[in-house]
Amino acid sequence: MTQTIDQTSPMRIRPKEKFDFFHDERVRSVFYQLLTAGIFGWLMWYLIANTAHNLEVRGMNTGFGFINSSAGFDIDFKLIDYSPGVGTYGLIFLIGAMNTLFVSFLAIIVSTALGFFIGVLRLSNNWLVSKVALAFVEIFRNTPLLIQIVFWYIGVFSLLPAVKKTIDISLGAEMFLLNNRGLYLATPIMGGLFWMTLLAVGAALVGVFLLRRKARKLQERTGQQMRTLLPSLALVLLVPSAVFVLTGMPLSWDMPTLQGFNFAGGTSVPPAFLALLVSLSIYHAAQIAEAVRAGILSVNKGQNEAALSIGLKPSRIMAMVVIPQAMPAIVPPLISQWMNTVKNSSLAIAIGYADIVSLFMQTTLNQIGHAVELVGMTMAFYMFISLSISGLLNIYNKRVQLVER
Amino acid sequence: MAIINATKTPERAAPLGERSAIGWVHKNLFSSWFNAILTVVTGYLVFITLSGVWSWGFTDATFVAQNRRECYDNSLTGACWAGVIDWLDNIFYGRYPRDQIWRINYGALMLVLWMAPLWMGRVKGKILIGAGVVVFYPFLAGYLFSGGDKGLFMQVMVTGAVVALIANTANMLTGVLRGEFLPDYLLRVLGKTTAPDKTQHNMLLAIALTVFAAVFIWQTSWTAEEVSWTKWGGLFLTMVIAGIGIASSLPGGIILALGRRSKLTVVRVLCVAFIEVFRSVPLITVLFMATTMFPLFMPEGFVLNKLVQVIIAVVLFNACYMAETVRAGLQAIPKGQYEAAHTIGLGYWRTTGLIIMPQALKHMIPNIVGSFIGLLKDTTLVSIIGLFDILGMLRSISKDLPWLGLHKEPLIFGAILFFVLCFSMSKYSRHLEVKLSAGNQH
Repeated sequence: MTQTIDQTSPMRIRPKEKFDFFHDERVRSVFYQLLTAGIFGWLMWYLIANTAHNLEVRGMNTGFGFINSSAGFDIDFKLIDYSPGVGTYGLIFLIGAMNTLFVSFLAIIVSTALGFFIGVLRLSNNWLVSKVALAFVEIFRNTPLLIQIVFWYIGVFSLLPAVKKTIDISLGAEMFLLNNRGLYLATPIMGGLFWMTLLAVGAALVGVFLLRRKARKLQERTGQQMRTLLPSLALVLLVPSAVFVLTGMPLSWDMPTLQGFNFAGGTSVPPAFLALLVSLSIYHAAQIAEAVRAGILSVNKGQNEAALSIGLKPSRIMAMVVIPQAMPAIVPPLISQWMNTVKNSSLAIAIGYADIVSLFMQTTLNQIGHAVELVGMTMAFYMFISLSISGLLNIYNKRVQLVER
Repeated sequence: MAIINATKTPERAAPLGERSAIGWVHKNLFSSWFNAILTVVTGYLVFITLSGVWSWGFTDATFVAQNRRECYDNSLTGACWAGVIDWLDNIFYGRYPRDQIWRINYGALMLVLWMAPLWMGRVKGKILIGAGVVVFYPFLAGYLFSGGDKGLFMQVMVTGAVVALIANTANMLTGVLRGEFLPDYLLRVLGKTTAPDKTQHNMLLAIALTVFAAVFIWQTSWTAEEVSWTKWGGLFLTMVIAGIGIASSLPGGIILALGRRSKLTVVRVLCVAFIEVFRSVPLITVLFMATTMFPLFMPEGFVLNKLVQVIIAVVLFNACYMAETVRAGLQAIPKGQYEAAHTIGLGYWRTTGLIIMPQALKHMIPNIVGSFIGLLKDTTLVSIIGLFDILGMLRSISKDLPWLGLHKEPLIFGAILFFVLCFSMSKYSRHLEVKLSAGNQH
C-alpha cells in the first residue's frame, strides 16, 4: 500500500500558537460583553439623568421620607388598625400588601380544591359529568379574567338585596348575612378558658396524625388496612367539644345587628372582596383543573389496571396510586397558577378592593406623587412574593428528582 | 383427530350493549347506581341552568328598543340586548368617525388577504409571505387607520406595502392556479427560464421597480383623512394592541431567549434579570409604570402618547413571556443539531438562524398561538388606565343616558365574543400541535 504525499508542496499547517487578536474567541467574548455592559450602562445613565432632570424641572419630591408622613384617606377593608390622619404611608403599604396576600391566599386554597375536584370530574366515566366539567373549564379559561371580575362585582354582588332585605345564609341564626353592602359575619369572642379548647383541638390533631401514621405502618408491614376516617372524625369533633362544654362554654359571639341603615358589630367584608375572591377562585380553578387532568393522564395506564387487579376501589386507586404519581407533573403548573393568582389579584383595582396596587400605585400616587418610589416598592413586593414561590417550587422539584433516582 | 371447519364462520355484529344507543347510555350514564344518581342530579342542574339562560337570553329578552325603560316595559325578567345592539358599532370600532369605518374594515380585509396564502397548500414562498406581513403590513395599516399627511418615509413604506400586497396576491393566484412561485411564473411567461441568473434577477427587479413607481405615483394622488388615536377604540383597539404586541414580542422574545442561553456572562445576567423582573410582576403594574414613569424617562419636551406608552409596556411584558416560550422551543432541539452545524463550519449566528430557529419556531407555533390568546385576554387591562378598548366601551354603555345602569348584558356579550375568539384559536392550536407532533414521528 502506498500513500503518495506530494513532497514538493509541504502541507500547510496553521501554526497553532499564533495569537490572532481579532479572531480569538476569548477576545471577542470579552469585547461583546464590554459592549453590552457599555450600552446597558449608557442606557441606564441616560434614563436616570432624564428622570432626575425631569423631576427637578417639575419640582417633584424624591426620597422615601413620605413613608413616615401620615396619610389622609380611609380604607374600607383592612386587617390591621389604621385611622386616616394618623396612619402613615408605610402602614398603607403594609395594609395593601396584607390585603393582596389575604385575598390571594384564600383564592389559592379555594381554587386548588375546586381545581382538583373539577380535574377529577373531567376524567369521570360518567359522560354528562365530564362534559359539564369540560364546559366549566372552557368557559372560564377562554374569557378574560377582568370581565369575569367586573361581572361578579357589578352583575352579582352589587345586585344583591339591599340592607333591609338581607339574606341570611346561616338559615335564621343571623351569623352570616349577605346584602349589597357585603358579607357580615359574627365574630367569636373568646372567654377566659377558651385556650383549653384550642389546646384540645391541637391535641386531637396530633392524635389523628399518630393514628394515621400507625395505620400506614400497619399497612406497609402486613397489608391490612385500618379504618381511620371515623376514629379521626370522632377525635377531632368529640374531644374539643367535650373540653368546651366542661370549661363552661367560654365563647360568645359579636353578632352583626341592624343599626339605622347598616349593620354594626361582627366582621364585614365588602362586595369587592367577595367578587375578587369568587372570580379568582373560579378562573384559576379552571386552569388548575387542566393541569390536574394532564397530570393524571400522564400516569401510566398500567398503574391503574394493576391497582384494579389487586382489588382496590376506584376512589382508593385515585387517592393511593394515581394522584401520588401524578403529583410531580401537577405541582409545577399548580405553583405557577398560585403565582398567577397573586399577580392577578392586582386586578382588584378595577372594582376598588384595597389591594397594594390600588392603594399604593393609584390612591397614594395620586395624592403625593413620588412615582418612581411607589412603583418601585410595589414591583419589589410582587418580585419578592414571586421569587419566594418559585423558590418553593425549586425545593419541591429537587426533592422529586431525588425520589425518582 | 382434528375438527376443521371448512366454512368461515360469518361475522357477528357487536353485542347490542356495544352498538345501540341504549347500550351507550347504560355504559356512560347509568353504569352503577351511584352513576345513575349522579347523572340525574347533574342533568337536572344542567336543565335548570340552560332553561334559565335560554329564557333570560332569548325568549324573554328584548332585542329592539329605544332605551332601557322600553326593555322593562317589554319584559322584566329577560335580557335587554337592545342596548348592546344599539352600541354594536361602538363596541367594534370605538369612537372612530362613522364615515371612515370602511378603513378599519379594509385594513382587516387586507390582513386576511395577506395571510390567507399561509394556509394554502399549493402556494409557494410562505416564509416570504410571513416576513412581508410583519415588515410591511403595520405601515400600511398604521397609515390607513391614522391617516394625515404622508411624510416621505411613510410614502415609501406605504408604496412598498402595496407592492408587497400586489405581489402576494399575484403569488397566491399563480400558486393556487398553477402551483408555481410568482418569480418562476413571470420568467416563464417572459420566456427567460433558461437565461442566466443575472438576467433573471435584473428582469424581476425591473418588474418590481416598475410596479413600485406606478404605485408611488398613484399614492401621491390621495391622502386619508386624519383620525386621532384618541378616537380609536373597541375591539379594533384591542386587536391593534394585541396584534402589535404579538408581532413585536416575538423578535424581542427570540433575542431575550438567545441572550439567556448565551455563553457571555454579562449578556446572560442582563437577560435573565430583565425576563425575571417582568415575569414576576403583574401586567397592571407595568402599565402603571408606563403611564407614570415613561414621561420621566424621556428627554424634556418629548411626549409619548398614551397608546404608544401602553403598547411599549405590552410589548416589553409579553416579550419576556415569549422569551420563555422560545427557550422551551430551543431546549427541545437535540444537541446533535448544534454539533452538526458546528462540524460543517457554521458560526453562532448562522447555526441559530439557519439550523436551530427554523426547527424551534415550527414547534413553537401552538405555544405562540397560546400566548396570543393570553395577550388578547390581558389586553382588556388597558381599560383600567383609561383607554377605551372593548371592555372600556362595554362598560360605558351603562353610562349612556338611554341605557343607564345596563351592566350585565354588555359584559356577557363581551365574554361571549372573547370566548368565541379564544376558544376557536385554542382549538386550532391544539389541532396544530397534533399535526406537528404527528409530522415529527416520521
